[in-house]
Amino acid sequence: MIQLRSVTKKYKNSYALKNINLDILSGEFVFITGASGAGKSTLMKMLYKEETPTTGTVLIGGINIANLPSDKVPNLRRCMGIVFQDYKLLENHTVYDNIAYVIRTLGISSSDIRTRVTGALKVVGLLDKMHDLPSELSGGEQQRVSIARALVNGPPLLIADEPTGNLDPKNSFEVMQILEQINQRGITVIVSTHDFTLVDRFRKRVLTLENGELIRDIQAGTYGQ
Amino acid sequence: MDNSRQQLKKQVKKHIPKDWLCEIRIAYRIFMEAVNDIKRTGIVNLVIITTMVAILTIFGVLFRFTISLSSFAGELGNVLEVSVYLKSNSHPSVVKDRVREIKHVKSVRLISKDEAWKGLKQELELGEMANPLPDTLRVRVDKPQNITEVYNQIKTINDVEDMGYAKELAKKIQLLTHVVNTTMFFVIIISAALTITIINNTIQLVIQARKDEIEIMRLMGVSNWYIKTPLIMQGAFYGFVSSIIASIPVGFVEKPILNMHKFFLVPPHAYAQNVVIITLLLIGTTFGAIGSFLSIKKHLQV
Repeated sequence: MIQLRSVTKKYKNSYALKNINLDILSGEFVFITGASGAGKSTLMKMLYKEETPTTGTVLIGGINIANLPSDKVPNLRRCMGIVFQDYKLLENHTVYDNIAYVIRTLGISSSDIRTRVTGALKVVGLLDKMHDLPSELSGGEQQRVSIARALVNGPPLLIADEPTGNLDPKNSFEVMQILEQINQRGITVIVSTHDFTLVDRFRKRVLTLENGELIRDIQAGTYGQ
Repeated sequence: MDNSRQQLKKQVKKHIPKDWLCEIRIAYRIFMEAVNDIKRTGIVNLVIITTMVAILTIFGVLFRFTISLSSFAGELGNVLEVSVYLKSNSHPSVVKDRVREIKHVKSVRLISKDEAWKGLKQELELGEMANPLPDTLRVRVDKPQNITEVYNQIKTINDVEDMGYAKELAKKIQLLTHVVNTTMFFVIIISAALTITIINNTIQLVIQARKDEIEIMRLMGVSNWYIKTPLIMQGAFYGFVSSIIASIPVGFVEKPILNMHKFFLVPPHAYAQNVVIITLLLIGTTFGAIGSFLSIKKHLQV
């Protein structure tokens, strides 16, 4: 599903990513780990074309998104779910409206939207909070809303950039469990994190970045090994 | 595995929406976004609309006066004519035909020397004496500014003895027309520039206020045009509403202008008020949208 070939990202005099070669298959669950500044976020941003590589190709579903024209970028982002560390929820919209927002722009009927939103809320266990505002929810709940929003369009790929970065261990574990359940439905899940306890506990494929280089790629691995 | 890969490829390339019902829903939702944007702008809406009403009112009133001044200039131009005095041995009807062929000549009227003498004798109560008057052509031109050109061409005809026209009046009419056109040009430019600037700044404020929201929409894959169109509609809305309101004070000057036309016996332009209102609407709405578009281009990186 995802192929990175000789991907390098250079900012003025420093390298964020150096010659990354990587294959992620459909249905995989992958952790991208590394210390702060290792290049995790740059790599994640490249997958949804918030960053473009200085050299190399990023293929998603066979399309080189490095060359994707800017008017096609929204299409790319709509066919993947993206989860952020800071949730990125619309503060003055209810949970329901936050999740429905993107699919509303596609011209989908209200009844279809309702079905999809309630389905996504069931997955994250927040059906009873659909009329609340984000400010009325805990951090863990807000992140679950953000996951529901990522799921609502039925994407084959979910990208989560430090989804547990702002959460306590209990909520972090819950969020990761939800991501695992989502992966079990056949959706490819890529999670960047530096939370070694979670990585060690879930035993998935682990890619480790250090100073922009991919130094380790282990199946069913742990944070350090 | 391959299935989801194909699905992704198809989704990235596909054009959304697929059917007319989707199009209608999207149009409706974009419209509602614009309505919500306007609601959220709150009291600032009043400030923007009031300022634009003032600008468009000044433009509308000046435009209305300009139309009337054009009518006056046109009417004065209609009375302008060149008097062409022919040599005694000439053939007036031949000269008349030649003059009629000259470009910009609107009409040529021949006044024979007998006819002219008869009139003069009656007017001055003269006794019997030899007719000293020549045959005369009264030539009218299509536009006052062409009178000099026509005059110079007639002058080259051999059978012409002498000529004359109200040179000073023609010059004044030309000057008046020029002033009217130039004023209108600058009024349109200034109104457009002010409208665009006001809307540009307003939409910039809206974009600043909604920066985070727009960023989220962009990251979630909301189409660029779905983000931009409500903002352009908001700019057009300010222009449209302001034009409608501005047409009320502009309507107040209609009566005094019509009285002026009556007083000087110059017929007014039949659809002047409608022309002014339609122009106001077009200018307000178009430049409102343009101002918004320019602001989006400058301040919205999507």
